[in-house]
Amino acid sequence: MDYFEPKTLSEALALLETYGAAAKVIAGGTDVMVDIKYKEEPGCLVNIKKIPGLDAIRENGGSLRVGPLVTIRDIETSSIVRERLPVFWESCHQFASLQIRNTATVGGNICRASPSGETLAPLLVLEAKAKLAFATGEKTVPFTSFFQGPGKSSAGVNGLLTEIDVPYPAAGSKGVYLKHAVRGAMDIAMVGVAVLVTPDAAKSGLQGVRIGLGAVAPTPIRATKTEAMLRGKPLTAALVKEAAQMAASESSPISDQRSSAENRRWIVEALTRRGLQQSWRAATGKEVA
Amino acid sequence: MAKAEFKVIGSSPARMGGVERVVGKGVYGIDLMLKDQLHGAILRSQHAHAKIVSIDTSEAKKVPGVHAVVTAADAPNVRYGRSYFDRHILARDKVRFMGDPVAAVAAESPAIAKQALKKINVVYEPLPVAIDPEEVTKPEAPTLHEDMPLPKSIPADTKVKNICGHAVVHLGDAEKAMAEADVVVEEVYETKMIHPQYLEPRIAAAQMEPNGRLTVWANAQAPFPVRQETAKTLGLPLNNVRVISAGLGGGFGGKGSGITSGAAIEPICGLLAIKAKRPVMIVLDKAEETISTTIRAGAKMYIKTGVKKDGTIVARTGKVFYDAGGYSGFGVQAGGRCTNMLGGWYLMPNCHIDGYTVYTNKQVCGPVRGPGGPQAAFAVESHMDSIAAKLGMDPVEFRLKNVPKPGDRIVGVPKLRDVSLGETIKIAADKIGWGKVKLEKNQGIGLATGSWIESAGPGGGAIVKVNEDGSVTVHIGKIDMGTIPGFGIPMIVAEELGVPVEDVTVVNVDTDASPWDAGTVGSRGILVSGTASRLAAIDARNQIFKMAASQLEASPDDLEIVNKQIRVKGTPAKAVALATIATNAHNVIGEVIGRGYFDNVAAGAEEKQHGSSQPFTAHACIVEVNPDTGNVKILKYVAVHDIGQPIHKAAAEGQIEGAAAMSIGQALCEQVVFDKDGRTMNPSFVDYLMPTINMMPRIETTLVSGYPGAGPYGAKGAGEIACVPPMACIANAIYNATGVRIKTLPLSPENVLRALKEAGKA
Amino acid sequence: MSLTINTTINGQAVSGSAEASTSLLEFLRDTLEYKGTKLCCNTGECGACTIIYNGKPINSCVTMAADANGAQITTIEGLADGDKLHPVQQAFIDTGAVQCGYCTPGYIISVKALLDRTTKPTPEDIEEAVSGNICRCTGYNKIVDAIQLAANRIAGRA
Repeated sequence: MDYFEPKTLSEALALLETYGAAAKVIAGGTDVMVDIKYKEEPGCLVNIKKIPGLDAIRENGGSLRVGPLVTIRDIETSSIVRERLPVFWESCHQFASLQIRNTATVGGNICRASPSGETLAPLLVLEAKAKLAFATGEKTVPFTSFFQGPGKSSAGVNGLLTEIDVPYPAAGSKGVYLKHAVRGAMDIAMVGVAVLVTPDAAKSGLQGVRIGLGAVAPTPIRATKTEAMLRGKPLTAALVKEAAQMAASESSPISDQRSSAENRRWIVEALTRRGLQQSWRAATGKEVA
Repeated sequence: MAKAEFKVIGSSPARMGGVERVVGKGVYGIDLMLKDQLHGAILRSQHAHAKIVSIDTSEAKKVPGVHAVVTAADAPNVRYGRSYFDRHILARDKVRFMGDPVAAVAAESPAIAKQALKKINVVYEPLPVAIDPEEVTKPEAPTLHEDMPLPKSIPADTKVKNICGHAVVHLGDAEKAMAEADVVVEEVYETKMIHPQYLEPRIAAAQMEPNGRLTVWANAQAPFPVRQETAKTLGLPLNNVRVISAGLGGGFGGKGSGITSGAAIEPICGLLAIKAKRPVMIVLDKAEETISTTIRAGAKMYIKTGVKKDGTIVARTGKVFYDAGGYSGFGVQAGGRCTNMLGGWYLMPNCHIDGYTVYTNKQVCGPVRGPGGPQAAFAVESHMDSIAAKLGMDPVEFRLKNVPKPGDRIVGVPKLRDVSLGETIKIAADKIGWGKVKLEKNQGIGLATGSWIESAGPGGGAIVKVNEDGSVTVHIGKIDMGTIPGFGIPMIVAEELGVPVEDVTVVNVDTDASPWDAGTVGSRGILVSGTASRLAAIDARNQIFKMAASQLEASPDDLEIVNKQIRVKGTPAKAVALATIATNAHNVIGEVIGRGYFDNVAAGAEEKQHGSSQPFTAHACIVEVNPDTGNVKILKYVAVHDIGQPIHKAAAEGQIEGAAAMSIGQALCEQVVFDKDGRTMNPSFVDYLMPTINMMPRIETTLVSGYPGAGPYGAKGAGEIACVPPMACIANAIYNATGVRIKTLPLSPENVLRALKEAGKA
Repeated sequence: MSLTINTTINGQAVSGSAEASTSLLEFLRDTLEYKGTKLCCNTGECGACTIIYNGKPINSCVTMAADANGAQITTIEGLADGDKLHPVQQAFIDTGAVQCGYCTPGYIISVKALLDRTTKPTPEDIEEAVSGNICRCTGYNKIVDAIQLAANRIAGRA
């Protein structure tokens, strides 16, 4: 296995261009080291941690820009993330163990593109944008089109994520990230549900609502039909129930060693229901009618 | 009984070997590094059931850096097993579970070994796979062992197959009594395969010595059976094999190879070392362990009980299908224990249970912590609550109504000398707040009891050597994995010899030097090695007194040892240092060597005459069930135990807390998951879920006293029994919270949610 | 391809060679023969391999040996001061938190990292610090006792 520690972004991109599918990028290593040991050694390992400028969290007007090498722990301990992007913060708080969070990077979690990746449903719901670099140039891809399948993203084999741009939600918005697991943060999520609601000025109806689902489809998804059904309506218990059932029907989970598909759908329904109730309560101070 | 005044017994001194463990000094088998060692690796079956048509190792042998490649053809055609000799160290002709060892290599590095394994070409003829322990007994099921006969107690013309053990409980006339009962409850319970998941991976290392002997290092719980099995399967004279142990990073019965004939990596390692003519070390990967080393068997249990209207139990019938896996392993013994315990530990005048240990194409059953007991108790103690519900009786009152008295018999114990069961139930109920605590919505309270018949196993010895400085070296045949060799044994010897606990060293087992022992298994540590060490220390003390008597001008009976001084009782000024006498011994008898042993036959006779004192227990808990997700949170957990006189109090509590935690894991999150082809779907810790600290309640332990056991100072074994009640305890609390009785483990969120939905409660 | 690793372990400069695929755990145990850090799941799920890396507790089994270059690493061997045990080590002995002892080095490192940050850990702090450390022997009771005892002693409350 060839090994490189590029000192610049262009050096790294040139390597990826040269090696193509034989190259694997390693940041924190918590996923890639396991692959190397138990699946296959890639032809070439590219350690990107020496590239400067990729580990910053900085405000940019109405959004937060997060470098790919920022560790999950750094996000968890960032007061600005906790205040301005609590849904994103919560997913990092529910992320494996402290040891893993100290090493794992947000870029690694995103580019791994696992359907159950902890930060993915929240970033989908926050409508983050991914800035990608290739040897041939750059492009920005909204998260809603970033994920193509399990392990497949717009980064492809040649690209590097150089930054994510996470817009602050509209004023008055509140959201939650709910992870369903047997033990807690240590588990890979059986189901992850991210909800963001923006009440209207009268705090009686939904001006905006976003629902992200993780681990229940080949990629993390937005429950777009459910969102469209809810938008503009006053939020009642009956509507929440209907929305939760609709979100469950929008998911296409598989049965595996962690859960049956049937159970995953039950949980999507339950956590969407709870997510809407909790977010509404936080945003308006009222219970759903 | 008057409370004895002990010097150290009952206290909690620092663990022998504690300092080395907290500073990370190499203590474990996995830390071994032999000079010039090669790395060994095992090729395992890719089919759960298949004929081996051919094995071609020629390409593997050509890989540079490979020093040996072995298959069954390289070893003698010798079978091993515990009661059924149904297994070879490397599969011959057939594989019977995925994980069955087929070949092995020794190479310069782990990477080369891995490469070489890939080049071994095995041609299989797949056969139909059988996974269900009841279905596998039907005539249409595939046959797993063509040449193993049915147990003799099953008529040869019975249309069943794949049964390797048959245990029967017969008391009174169960069928008649059942027909006359006022109320009958009939249920089926199922538990799943669990892996003990000790943290230290299994290793074996082996080296042929220049004098032709084979030295084997093993992190095995039972070094002497390893010696015997290695010699037998490799065709070596017994005394040509030497097994050396280190401390173990956990075992829980899963490292009891030899007794269980479970994984037998030691003989494979020995074979590689012989062929390679160099030392070889095998280190298993944890994911490899889940699919290949010994497990706690799943069981399907039919249980039916008849009671009178007033709650008196009159009859029980039942049937057990105990899943031994691809080979019998420890399955016959564990299945027998499960069958017995399905009769419960309450008064049971009429009982008929048939238990079948069966073969399936899965991992092999080992003596995992309380083998057979937790499974039976899940059924028995859940069932007790079902009966109470049908009678409209409080579950605690129902149990107390059926508690035996001294002199009574219960299933498996002909005569009870005393009975702590009632007291443990009352204390557990009191501590959990039974009938008093205010429960919120979705909360429930449950109680379950247990017992554990301490294995009627072999005897064992101890040797106590008193060194020149008055320090003491102890040889027993039990290894240190966090049980009595590091805790109770030094204390017992210190107690009898009047030396500080920290001056007593229990050394690691070396089959050339240690007394034979069945190993650290079966809750027998304190009983066997504790008794033996005590008697050995007393023997040493008597020799010391004999030598000191003339010097002190007193009779040996007038002497005592206090703080390393031998002195005349009542005249402390007349004293001589223990070190002086121990050194003087060189000129007299050479050395003070005390010998002691636990006489198993005598102990059995004593029990037969006076009855036995069983280590009863009751656990109770409060849970909260999430009706949306099925998650179960334990809010409070109490464990009340009779373990006789605790020797090391913190260690005894630690065994109880650890065993309870293990079964809480079996209750809430652990199971080995299979697909229909017999492939394990969750081999690694990513998906084999063990309890982490955030889901474990504080286990509040209470020890009851007044029921001395057969061990030293009245001790009873404590290593396994706390595994017995937790699953039923939690299931009973879930029933109390939700009205839903769940009869299949685990009580995972999905299984609880499904049960709630099926009952219309979610 | 062989790499040269120059790192600092327990305050001492150390060098060794490793492959790119070598984990930091393998480098510590097999190349440098620091056996105190334990191998268990090898996939970052159990915490037995926990070390302190530039001040933070991490799983060495899923970290590259190459990333040790220029890093400050503390292993279990670096905690005692000669014969004097670190308070966390002593507390683990004193409460009976050491049964088989295999999880112990990883636990002690995680707890030391916690108590370096705060000597008044809340139950949530403790859970956060050691949720990634599995113990199969103790059921966790006496480990929690040890953490609280160590905190009290370090803070002079006991």
